[in-house]
Amino acid sequence: MGAAFVVTLREAFEAALILGIVYTYLDKIGGRAYYRYATAGGALGLLASIGAGVAVSFLSGPLLDLGPDVVRTVVVFAAVVLLTWHGWWMRQHARSIKGNVQRRIEQARLTRRLWIIGLIGFTGVFREGAETILFLWGLLTQATSAAAGVAGGTLGVATAALLGWAIFHGGRRLSLRRFFTVTSAILLFVSAGLFSTGVGQLQGLGVLPQSYALWDTSFLLSDRSLVGAFLNGLLGYRARPSALELGAYVTYVLGAGLLLFGNALVPARRRSGPRPDVARP
Amino acid sequence: MARRVGSLLIGMLAVLALPAGVARAADVPREIALTIEKNRFQPEEIRVKAGASFILVITNKDRAAEEFESRELRIEKVIPAGKTVRLRMPALKPGTYPFVGEYHEATAKGRLVAE
Repeated sequence: MGAAFVVTLREAFEAALILGIVYTYLDKIGGRAYYRYATAGGALGLLASIGAGVAVSFLSGPLLDLGPDVVRTVVVFAAVVLLTWHGWWMRQHARSIKGNVQRRIEQARLTRRLWIIGLIGFTGVFREGAETILFLWGLLTQATSAAAGVAGGTLGVATAALLGWAIFHGGRRLSLRRFFTVTSAILLFVSAGLFSTGVGQLQGLGVLPQSYALWDTSFLLSDRSLVGAFLNGLLGYRARPSALELGAYVTYVLGAGLLLFGNALVPARRRSGPRPDVARP
Repeated sequence: MARRVGSLLIGMLAVLALPAGVARAADVPREIALTIEKNRFQPEEIRVKAGASFILVITNKDRAAEEFESRELRIEKVIPAGKTVRLRMPALKPGTYPFVGEYHEATAKGRLVAE
């Protein structure tokens, strides 16, 4: 039961984190009416995961050898692009939002971007979804410890969902501007972790050359442990990173960091004026 | 202009494809069988030649899916119940590379020894 709990919590944590941020974001800009886009994205992600899990069980030959890997790699890079884009967009608006008027403008602009919200929900759930489904399904087929295993697995998913909810709850208390800044920063590191995961996957597939671990901190903090897995989801922690993974991580953090927070480094003249803080609801 | 871009693209593709083609012609990778049964790997130790890529032919005889995973080599591969997957493995430097079945980590453990 314990092992099943750890596996599903590990797999579902990232999805919960991303969905938590997306819902809070919608809440923050007064777009509660649009929750259903995130929900629909997440639900479609779940359906697609079940579909992929079933499909994999029917595939064979070269399709089974390569198909899932191609999908996995496409999804991880798609998630990086979507989250970067979302982070960038939030930063743009964190700067301009000063009151309720802007908030309403934001909401109007949002309607054109709802499909992105949906896609983020989708990729967030789908990325590890099929694996989790196959794992849970496997537990069911094992006669010896099926009940305990399924209980543990379900509890793991539920705990991940609870963490997502906690993020949502905590995020709502932050001021709008601070929320945008904090989540942009979180998404920056989540995306950097995803990007380096994608590069690692390409190494595993032989598309990029294999290189060996630069260091090994698994004796201190294994990325298989719960804490290690949380840090992996949040910051992209890796106990044994390859040079390419590390390079990808650093490049992304620097590049996207500059894109998202570049202006914060420059003491801009336009900041001298009074800047009313975030609107109170 | 379009033709130029086109020929440039074709050139780039050719450059990318060339080493792969040469490598494939030079040596046909060896196939090594690995079986999953009762949530264990069989054999648990696989000896391979260092510096030569090979193919792991993994058969899952259990009724539950398993995920072959090597953190060291950044390989994760789901092997559905009752299925066989051919996994291309890179040329390894001499050393020991542990792998696990992620879904049954307590029992499914093994290692690749490259020498």
